[in-house]
Amino acid sequence: MAAIEVDGLTKVYGETVANDDLTFSVREGEIFGFLGPNGAGKSTLIRMLLGFQSPTAGSATVLGRDVRDEQALLEAKADVGYLPATPGFDEGVTGRTFLDYQAELKGDERRGELLDLFDPPLDRKIRAYSTGNRQMLAIVQTFMHDPDLVIMDEPTSGLDPLKQEHFNDFLRRERDRGLTVFFSSHILGEVRRVCDRVGIIREGHLAALEDVEDLLARGGKRVRVTTADPVDAADFEFPGVRDAEFVGRQAQFTFTGDYDDLVAHLTGYDLVDLEIEEPPLEDVFMHFYGDAPVDTASERNGDTATGSGDDPDAGRDAAVTGMEADDV
Amino acid sequence: MFEVTRYEANRRVRSTLALAVGLGLFGLLVIGIFPSVEASGVDFEAYVESLPDAFQESFGGGAFGTIEGFLAAEFYQFVWVLLFGLYMAYTAGGAIAGDVENGRLDLLLATPVSRSRVVVETYLSLLTPIVVLNLLMPLFVYAAVLLIGESIHVVDLVMVHLLSVPYLLACTSIGMLLSVLVPRGDLAQRGGIATVFLLFVFDSVTAATDFEALGAVSPTRYYDTTEILVDQTYDVAGAIVLLLAAFVLLAVTRALFLRADL
Repeated sequence: MAAIEVDGLTKVYGETVANDDLTFSVREGEIFGFLGPNGAGKSTLIRMLLGFQSPTAGSATVLGRDVRDEQALLEAKADVGYLPATPGFDEGVTGRTFLDYQAELKGDERRGELLDLFDPPLDRKIRAYSTGNRQMLAIVQTFMHDPDLVIMDEPTSGLDPLKQEHFNDFLRRERDRGLTVFFSSHILGEVRRVCDRVGIIREGHLAALEDVEDLLARGGKRVRVTTADPVDAADFEFPGVRDAEFVGRQAQFTFTGDYDDLVAHLTGYDLVDLEIEEPPLEDVFMHFYGDAPVDTASERNGDTATGSGDDPDAGRDAAVTGMEADDV
Repeated sequence: MFEVTRYEANRRVRSTLALAVGLGLFGLLVIGIFPSVEASGVDFEAYVESLPDAFQESFGGGAFGTIEGFLAAEFYQFVWVLLFGLYMAYTAGGAIAGDVENGRLDLLLATPVSRSRVVVETYLSLLTPIVVLNLLMPLFVYAAVLLIGESIHVVDLVMVHLLSVPYLLACTSIGMLLSVLVPRGDLAQRGGIATVFLLFVFDSVTAATDFEALGAVSPTRYYDTTEILVDQTYDVAGAIVLLLAAFVLLAVTRALFLRADL
């Protein structure tokens, strides 16, 4: 049984199609990243999965329960943790009071253990909490009843990098214990660090669904090199370099090749500065989903859903077909 | 069961106590000035009768010369019917809409708590000010009346509070309904105040006119403090109407909330 099964799920607000015929599933025991720019429809999907909003069309199940059936979904919720993007707390109560309340509603077998890892000042009123402390309180709340599935909306916003890494480690350990995680984000790097598989949503459509390694291999890294001597375009024509731009002694390009080759090549220069970073999500879209990513992808997605999409040659198709294989 | 009610009621304790102190002080002031009003010998009944009908209705219709009439008009009509009614509509207005707006409701509904339970238990938590103030205030008023050397029928005093409960529940239900209809907490709160106040005014201006029957839509029509304290008539049928209205509005609220996209 898939932890989350989404089938043709559509949500329309007036003229706006927030989710358009989404079909995919999240397997038990995986960390699934739901990646897309702000406003792509990530939160809408999460709100439907939690029963906060009803689908306009299509259906979905969470831990095997239909999200359109409140009574059924309540049974699932006992085993679901939810971490909102900006958790809404009662400002006037202490963190402890808030956790006590949540414990009464869903249990708190793991509260103590979690508070060793994430330690908001429990006896202070939430009004006085920093963003990071709020996030830690929300994380404890999410996991304290030992859920089987955790749904997180932009979870690490507000955490400092060290806490973020703690959190990622924690997530991986929980995954190894069998936890399923559905994780929405607009930051590729965040998804890259913890997720096993990634669904990409853009303008309400599922644009791609693939293993995170595949996505990264094709997404590459943004490389910026500053050398002591002026560089020439010809110097950077080697496999894996794309979209190179040169300004004076600076070269900037996307690199999708072998890192050993890159390092070997760079040793030939007198480097002043070197930056290697994640490409922005929009760049990944531009490179891999072209100018009309939405239509192509949704069409293929639709094909896959009916079992007729089968074109494993092209990279993009392989990704979508991969979804089909995964989901069976 | 009742975890939500318990938690929400706890959150309301402080504001309830603040309200109790404020209204208590106001009651003390009103009762405190009664001896000088009585001593002044002014014929208030004649004065009130000289006012238009709508004013007479709004201010309890006279009998200022007795402590019962004075209390009914100056304290209960103004504080209990108007201020407390508005307070309940205001508070209930923010109860759901406010929590939706700031995301608190998400953390509640993510737990295995049904929407129906959220509505009903939130409503029950709103009983906190109604119960606490109706228990404290009669003791306070009774003591203050004795203190100025007057006396008042205990049964009437109890009844003016007891019969206020259906009225306050109706105001609460109006607020709750707005709370699921209006997407913003502050709008729902102001809407609650405006609705109850307009109904109060409507009841007053239609009183003793050809349109008097129309005033029957206002909860204030079914709870008359002067009638209870001065005439010792208890409008039990009116109380039942208010209870039914409160219940029907709550049922509508629940039904709307079950279908709402949050």
